[in-house]
Amino acid sequence: MFDRRELFSRALLAGLGACLPAEALAAGLAAAAQPQWALALGDVEDDISPRPLTRLHGRLPPDLAGTLYRNGPALFRRGGTAVNHWFDGDGLVRAFALRDGRATLQARFVDTAKRRVEAKAGRIVQPGFGTAMRDGAVLGSADDTNAANTHVIAAGGRLLALWEAGSAHAMDPATLATQGPVTFRPDLKGMPFLAHPKVEASGRIWNIGLSGANAFVWRLSADGALEASKLIKLPAASYCHDFTMTQRHLIIVLQPWLHERASMPFASGMVWRPERGTRVLVIDKDDLTRQRLFELPALFFFHLGDGWEDRDGTLHFDGAFDDSPLFATETASALVQGRYPRTERPMLRLISLHANGRAQVRDAGITAEFPRNPAGNVGPRPTFHVGGYRPERPFARSIGRWDWEAGRGAAHDFGAHQIVEEFVPAGPWLIGTSINLAARATELHVLRADRLNDGPLASWRADVALPHSFHGSWVAA
Amino acid sequence: MIIRSLITALLIAAPAAATDLTVNFTVTDVPTGQIMMNLFDSEAAHDSNTGPVRQAAVPVKDGKAVATFAGLAPGRYAIKAFHDIDGDGQMGMTPFGMPSEPFAFSNNAQPQGGPAPWSASNFTVDGTTTTAITIK
Repeated sequence: MFDRRELFSRALLAGLGACLPAEALAAGLAAAAQPQWALALGDVEDDISPRPLTRLHGRLPPDLAGTLYRNGPALFRRGGTAVNHWFDGDGLVRAFALRDGRATLQARFVDTAKRRVEAKAGRIVQPGFGTAMRDGAVLGSADDTNAANTHVIAAGGRLLALWEAGSAHAMDPATLATQGPVTFRPDLKGMPFLAHPKVEASGRIWNIGLSGANAFVWRLSADGALEASKLIKLPAASYCHDFTMTQRHLIIVLQPWLHERASMPFASGMVWRPERGTRVLVIDKDDLTRQRLFELPALFFFHLGDGWEDRDGTLHFDGAFDDSPLFATETASALVQGRYPRTERPMLRLISLHANGRAQVRDAGITAEFPRNPAGNVGPRPTFHVGGYRPERPFARSIGRWDWEAGRGAAHDFGAHQIVEEFVPAGPWLIGTSINLAARATELHVLRADRLNDGPLASWRADVALPHSFHGSWVAA
Repeated sequence: MIIRSLITALLIAAPAAATDLTVNFTVTDVPTGQIMMNLFDSEAAHDSNTGPVRQAAVPVKDGKAVATFAGLAPGRYAIKAFHDIDGDGQMGMTPFGMPSEPFAFSNNAQPQGGPAPWSASNFTVDGTTTTAITIK
């Protein structure tokens, strides 16, 4: 979109040339010309003390009690400087507690080395996914740059705030106080732990951590204690934000966005090589050396749904796929400055891996992101997702449910004034948040998972607008 | 007169007083193990990590460790140290080849994607010198 504001700011930049530091100029211009959706990348200046949410309509089902925890970047700017990517903001863990018809909100920043260094400096200095290292940076390990901002899960009586290139951070589930980075075994200090561990019906937790073409496979008990681990070599040094699994197999999707150089920021060392296609590595959980490799056309992804296996041995999993990494390399940087240079259209697709080695892609024909599936299924199951992406602004505006077997879905559109975040299955319900751009406030909604078309059966509004969160977990009381 | 000249000559010819260095470590993570350190007397040796002029391995007790070096030449020095928590005499490494035991540098100079540079960590040793390093 090339409007008069863009024209004016380009002329201003050309006229001022090198007179002002680029960052200060950008920050000043950004402040003057912020679109309404920029609330989704606003800064939270301090922890959010516990406060009630105002009920807008409906009633909390009596047997729905517990806490929705969510994590996401919530501080992007300090003293005239800014991170250069959505993924590099400091993690803020939110707790939406539901009980006896009432909802309360509390949120605390994860106390990380990155946050301490930058609070002391009064500036953004640490390198990240898209942010360069600046004067005053402290870089002794990956955990020095750990933003702890992507997901939050509960295990063993504590919360784990997850990132991907370093440790999980443990937090107290009641107070949200940070207990510190988790070292599962002394020689594994600081090893990468993806933000998307996968949980079996038994509660056992699998995860991977990546470094170039090496993957470290983590197996934890339901309590979050290390059971086993193994280093495996991957056929390609792909960027993996997520992986998936079936009851018997781990599934690592190797997209052709390849780590070719160790570089800061991280994304500057990655190269998109679509001619190599996307490959899928299937690993036997009982023997990690037993592997199969499948070939697909080039697809880019952040998020995958849970996998399942048919009787005939075909493996299936879905995910939100795009044709290129441009969201990661361009759009997510622009968003911090209030710019939206190209339309995002992540599409819901099903990948099927047949026993004869053939792989297929099936398109649902709808935009979708942040896929979630109900826990405990071993067979086909519905995929819940955000969607309704339109060209005029970033982020989703609807919640949807897709059924691959039926080949159709349901959805509820919250409207153009709402930015809809991930919804999490909680028994027969879905619970999630939105940013109401008209009310300039975060809202919490409960829907019946089998009656999405009815819209929320209850909604609450907070007295604050929190920026767009990524992922979270429902912990029943 | 001859004696005074002799004494004067002896005084002028006498070497400078021997220089001692005491390094006080404060260890905040784990109370066991030892601190292993290399003392470098030049930027070249420091950057190439070769030819430390002195080395030490000192036990950690109650969160403290002390290393002393006697008879150093006055000049500029820098220290690279790590906390050998498991006492195996080596820097621990993760499966991805990153240090798994804590390390620190003189002047508590900060690492920046590699060891702290000589320019940040070097300090003057002259006479009886004491310096402090925190390892966490």
